[in-house]
Amino acid sequence: MTVPLSVSRLEALLESAELLHSSLDLDDLLRHLLRSVMGRLVVSRALVAVEREGVLEVAIARGVRGVSAGQVFDRVEAERAGIALFVPIGQETAPVGVLGLGLPPTGRVDEPEVEFLRALAGLAASGIENARAHAEVQQLNRRLDRKIHELKALLDLVRALTSIEDPDEVAQLLGLTLAGQWLVARYAIVAEKPGHPVVNRQKATTLGWPVTWWDEVARWSEAVRVEDLPEGPARRTLELEEIEIVFPMRSATGPVGLVALGARPGGRPYTDADAELGAGMVAQSAVALENAWHLREVLEKQQIERELMLAASIQQGLFPADLPQLAGCDLAATSRPARQVGGDYYDALSAEVASPLSRWLLCVADVSGKGIGASLLMSNIQATLRALLGREASLAELARVTNELLYLNTPGNKYVTAILLAVDPATGWCSYVNGGHNEGLVLRASGEVEWLPATGLALGLFPGMRYDEPTLTLGDGDVVALYSDGVTEAQNAAEEEFGNDRLVAVVRRTSSEPAPRIVSAVLSAIDAFAADAPQHDDITLMILKRARPATQPR
Amino acid sequence: MPHPFVVHRSTEGELSVLSLDGHLDAHTAPEFERAIQAEIDDGRVRLIVDGSDLRYISSAGLGVFMSFIEEVRDKGGDIKICGLVPKVRQIFDILGFPAIYDLVDSRDAAIQRFAEAPTREV
Repeated sequence: MTVPLSVSRLEALLESAELLHSSLDLDDLLRHLLRSVMGRLVVSRALVAVEREGVLEVAIARGVRGVSAGQVFDRVEAERAGIALFVPIGQETAPVGVLGLGLPPTGRVDEPEVEFLRALAGLAASGIENARAHAEVQQLNRRLDRKIHELKALLDLVRALTSIEDPDEVAQLLGLTLAGQWLVARYAIVAEKPGHPVVNRQKATTLGWPVTWWDEVARWSEAVRVEDLPEGPARRTLELEEIEIVFPMRSATGPVGLVALGARPGGRPYTDADAELGAGMVAQSAVALENAWHLREVLEKQQIERELMLAASIQQGLFPADLPQLAGCDLAATSRPARQVGGDYYDALSAEVASPLSRWLLCVADVSGKGIGASLLMSNIQATLRALLGREASLAELARVTNELLYLNTPGNKYVTAILLAVDPATGWCSYVNGGHNEGLVLRASGEVEWLPATGLALGLFPGMRYDEPTLTLGDGDVVALYSDGVTEAQNAAEEEFGNDRLVAVVRRTSSEPAPRIVSAVLSAIDAFAADAPQHDDITLMILKRARPATQPR
Repeated sequence: MPHPFVVHRSTEGELSVLSLDGHLDAHTAPEFERAIQAEIDDGRVRLIVDGSDLRYISSAGLGVFMSFIEEVRDKGGDIKICGLVPKVRQIFDILGFPAIYDLVDSRDAAIQRFAEAPTREV
């Protein structure tokens, strides 16, 4: 039997309806529901349970001993705690909740009141649905806001990375972005490429680098939670540093580093979506890092090439543009560097002031090292020889003073081997000093071979050295070959050396030809001998041939 | 085209005030980082960051706050943030900043917070 609602009940119902639909906050709504029924029926115990994920859960309880919000609704337990009346909220078959009430002091609830409660519960049902839908929308909005922010963060990072050329700045930016995204105050970004300084940005961590468990990193996927790592050095270290999640950094060639993040505030875990976003940011940064490294390499290479070109041009300037015409002698020389900038040097100098050395000074030298350092040493020895030439009493003295000056002015590992030959073209009288250089070759017109061996140590190596200065006289048709070790030590594919005998043989075969022809014959012979084997060392050769001017073939 | 960003520095008694003007993003975050680092290097760890003129903040910008907060608090100071416009404040809220930082409306309120709680425990 349906009992019609009285006017007062209708009024109360209208008021509640208004309140139940004015708030979209579920807690507010339920509190209002409880207040209404507890006041109206004068009961001191009441609760509302609401369905959540298929289970009825107590949402609010007043005066019900042992029952509180958050626990699963248990009808027996509620009855034991004094709840006697249960009104379903929403459809009887699939209620969204239950309103439970104790009995009023009268001990019973009459039928019209129950009817009123049913009506109220019906109103509450739609209110709850509304509030829930609202909460869901709000939650979705929050998630969407976060997603939008994440995308913006990623976009912002990628955009900024494109304009960064410094590896450390890449790490700085990535660190700031990750820290800001997840509010982490503890993080480490470390990466390394051979030939470059280590990239190392750490906040509140001291992760040593490189780590001993580096090969383990190479096997990791895009994001690794430390709690998922097997027991071992990696996990121990990362736990010690209070790291929660690690992203390996990979370049095209393999792992180059890692990004390690500490806890988020409030113990919030890194979700799978976080891990995915982080991996994306780290991957973008790895590309930027690789680019920055590459750019640096290109710039360094260009710098080296510029230096080498400079060194080569310095060196080219040191070689005499034209060798002098010596009356009664024929002179030719060439130098072929193994690389762009070699370490060989030759020259033909004449004393500008009258002295016992007012003859020609021929010189073939081999400076230690390559590149710009060798060029500078070469120009050093040239300047020294030019400055001293004509001032020293003898070639031996010239060598002694040159040795002292080079020793004082060059680092300990720099030295020069040199053969210096003073020639009087008119008489054929010569003297020479060989400072640790290859033996000079003298092929007499008779076919006899003489060698000009070392008369002292290389120049610039030790102080206080003395040099012997043997003399000889060149006769008509005699040929002198001064050369660097690149000539006799030129190798073929079988690693055999060109050697003294082959040199002597070529010079002998061509000794009747002009000096330039002898020079080119020796070079051709070396090339033929070496075939496809690469040239290891600079090849320098100077040929002096004594001949009466009238009979000198041209 | 990079957005303009400037950090203005002033003081309120013993407190340093860094006023942010413009876009704090990945490009400009290093500048803000230098500004805070300079304060710490000079031994000033009670910092008010005034965001009244801050138009935008990215994660990298927020990361600057996170990068220094532990150090600043270890040294007995704090970073209080004031004056954020609603659009910027929303980003702080989305990421959960209020759980860690004092976010107040005005510079005066920030000064007041320093009087009450010079270092906030998290």
